Amino acid sequence: MPRPVAHITAPWPTQEEMERYYPVSEARKKALQVLVDEFKAKLSSREEASVTLIEPEKRRKRASAA
Amino acid sequence: MPLPPDPKGVFLNVPYDVEFSRLYVAYFVGLCQLGLAPHLSSEIPGGGRRLDKIVELIQSCSYSIHDLSRVEVNVVSTATPRFNMPLELGMTITWQILNSDQHTWFVFESEQYRLQKSASDLNGTDPYIHDGTPQGVFRELRSAFPRDKMPSVPQMLIVYGLVDSALNSIFVANGTRNLYARSVFKELCRLSFSLTSHFFPPAKPAV
Repeated sequence: MPRPVAHITAPWPTQEEMERYYPVSEARKKALQVLVDEFKAKLSSREEASVTLIEPEKRRKRASAA
Repeated sequence: MPLPPDPKGVFLNVPYDVEFSRLYVAYFVGLCQLGLAPHLSSEIPGGGRRLDKIVELIQSCSYSIHDLSRVEVNVVSTATPRFNMPLELGMTITWQILNSDQHTWFVFESEQYRLQKSASDLNGTDPYIHDGTPQGVFRELRSAFPRDKMPSVPQMLIVYGLVDSALNSIFVANGTRNLYARSVFKELCRLSFSLTSHFFPPAKPAV
C-alpha cells in the first residue's frame, strides 16, 4: 500500500498568519529579528554556512562533557 | 461541528523527552521550511480536560504526524509503556475515518518493519522511516509534503544548525531549559519561518 502523500498547494504563510500561529511580545520579536539578521549575514557566506552544519554536534559534545 | 481545518496546520504527535530533542527540532524546522505550521499539545493552555483540547487541535489541522519511534518501555525509571502517542494516533484515525476529506495522517518511524510488531493493526500503512536522524526527518518530510518550490535537505540542515545554535539564548530569554515549553516552541517556529525566507525571498515571513 502506498504511503499517504500531501501535495502542498497552500501559499507560504504570511506575516499575519505567523502572528496568529506563534504570537510573542514586541520585545521578543525585536530580539528574534536581531538573531535572524545575524544568521542571514552568516548564510550569505557559504563557508560560514558549512561550518554551521557541524556546530550542533560539537556543541552537544561540549555540553555533555561539561 | 468544528471549523474547517487549517490547510497549513500539522499536529505533531511526538515524545517530549531529551533523547528525542534533535528530531523534535528537525520536525518543526522542516515543517516550517515547507510552509506548514506545526502545532503541539504543549501549546494547549492549562484548564479544562486536556484530551478535549487535543482533539480540538487535531481537528483544527489538515495533517498530523505521529512519530512512533520511541514507544518503547522506559527502562530508566519505572518501566512504563509510552501510550500517549498511540492514543493520539488512534483519536486521529477515528477523526479521519469520520471526516475523510478533512485530515491526512502520517506515521513516522526510525526503523523499518518495527511498526508491524509494535502496532500490527496498522499493517497496510507504510510509515516514513527517518533513521533517527535530522537528515532523515527532512528527507521524509519532503517526501510526505511535496510542493512546487521547497528547500533541499542541505538547505534544511543549514537552517536546523542555525535554529539549534539559538536555543540557549531562547532558553535564557524564556527562563526555562525545557525545549518543549510553549514559549520556546513559538519562538523557534518564528525563527525557522524567518530563516526560510533567506532561501525563498518572496515568502518574506519576517519575525
